[in-house]
Amino acid sequence: MDNVLEVRKLSRSFPGFQLKDISFTLPKGYIMGLIGPNGSGKTTTIKLILNMLKRDGGEVRILGMDNIAEEKAAKAELAVVFDSNYFCEAWTAAQTETAVSGFYENWDTNRFHRLLEQFHIDPTKKVKDLSRGMQMKLMLACAFSYSAKLLILDEPTSGLDPVSRDELLTILSGYIEDGEHSVLFSTHITGDLERAADYITYINRGSLFFTGGKDEFVDSFRIVKGGPEDLTEEIKARLIGLRTHPTGFEALVRTEELERLKHASVKADKNRSVQGNGDSALPAYTSVLKKPSPVDSWTVEPATIDEIVVFTSQEPYREKGRIR
Amino acid sequence: MNETLKAARLDYSLLRPYWKTLCFIILMPVIYTGVARSLSAGISFEMCMLGVTASYTFAISEKNGMERLYGALPVARRHLVFGKYLLICTTGLLALGISLVTHTAVLKALGETVHAWEIAVSAVLGFFLYTFYVVFQLPAYYKFGAVNGKMVQFIPVTGYLLTLILLPRVDLNSSALAAALGRPGMLAGAVLLCCAAAYVISIVVSVRIMKNKEV
Repeated sequence: MDNVLEVRKLSRSFPGFQLKDISFTLPKGYIMGLIGPNGSGKTTTIKLILNMLKRDGGEVRILGMDNIAEEKAAKAELAVVFDSNYFCEAWTAAQTETAVSGFYENWDTNRFHRLLEQFHIDPTKKVKDLSRGMQMKLMLACAFSYSAKLLILDEPTSGLDPVSRDELLTILSGYIEDGEHSVLFSTHITGDLERAADYITYINRGSLFFTGGKDEFVDSFRIVKGGPEDLTEEIKARLIGLRTHPTGFEALVRTEELERLKHASVKADKNRSVQGNGDSALPAYTSVLKKPSPVDSWTVEPATIDEIVVFTSQEPYREKGRIR
Repeated sequence: MNETLKAARLDYSLLRPYWKTLCFIILMPVIYTGVARSLSAGISFEMCMLGVTASYTFAISEKNGMERLYGALPVARRHLVFGKYLLICTTGLLALGISLVTHTAVLKALGETVHAWEIAVSAVLGFFLYTFYVVFQLPAYYKFGAVNGKMVQFIPVTGYLLTLILLPRVDLNSSALAAALGRPGMLAGAVLLCCAAAYVISIVVSVRIMKNKEV
């Protein structure tokens, strides 16, 4: 089994929101970031994977098992960590183990206590007295104590301070080190993914925007910056996202569009510079052809995941950025 | 371990931090028995108090957002329901047993005579009342949750008040009552059968609600 998670054409409708045809696969031993703006459908996707919501269509296979027909067996192999604590706050860390361990055949008590020690969690301390970061670690300690093959995290870093976020990412990297464990990690703090994720699945307004390798995702886009006079309608039409300011503009383009953008820019410059016709226009044409293209003066930079998400979420550009 | 037992254990672990409150609820009606000088009156009150606690596990899990934990656990939803009913039924029986002993002891200490048949009648009455207090509440909690469904928390109180109003109106000389009391074993059996049927129907409804429930 090479894929720990296979999601095919997953759909679900709510009044005012539709999650449609979400498909992605998570290979064994990797971390996949599930990204998208708030309300894009990340948590809905996770809840559908966990059968906490009923799907309208599609298929979910966890380690080759159907998430509904073989729900119990599938859930025994996965662990879930949500953005906030889901244990009873009156429990101590040790009581949490007592309550949950019975559900997992391969629960390792020694490992749980080792993890509590490693995470500096006092077993006698009540869950409500633990900090948010510590509560997160307690959920992780439980997840690691039965060697869950797939760890699903729903916005785990939201509300965590930078130190706790860094610790969490280090823990996740250690978790997949043996190549047997995988992580599906939903977040809107994309900086975390730059560091931890191998794959990206990007959902926007209920639709799949991209799924594939993180590097491929980042390489697919570039940020271009230019002067205010460089923008024409033709150039605008080739942009995926645009932000203008008095001193120029900043735009997201697909990497493969850069060359076409250059031609569009040269054409625009010719139209702007050459005002006559016939012989009178010839010197002007010649000078324009000798002139460098405005694109040459633009700054072209690699786009960050954050920039890609922000630009592709702009209303007129949403569909244009879609890769697959 | 059986799935139902695991689920019951999980629910028990929700109640465990509140054991002092539960002990208070179980022991407090002793005062009422002492004042009323009647075992069956005290047990009815006890079951009313205990019936109100049926919402505890729902309220605790709702307060802590534990539906997400339940959703992630490798256990069928129906077993979560069975576990809850098992725990609630066991709690009721245990509390009933403790109450019968303590209330009888209090009455005896106060110089009252408590006959064996009186204890048996109180036991059957107590189980009957507790059953009917919880079988209507639990499906409502599954459907609406402990907060939105808190109106059903008044079922035990309403039931207790109805018992207080209706019991004095029972014609103790009626032939039907005499016939029923003439065969106490059969009467107890019928009551217990009725309780079992009520539990089965309530469980079926709760399982159906739970299966269709989205978290």
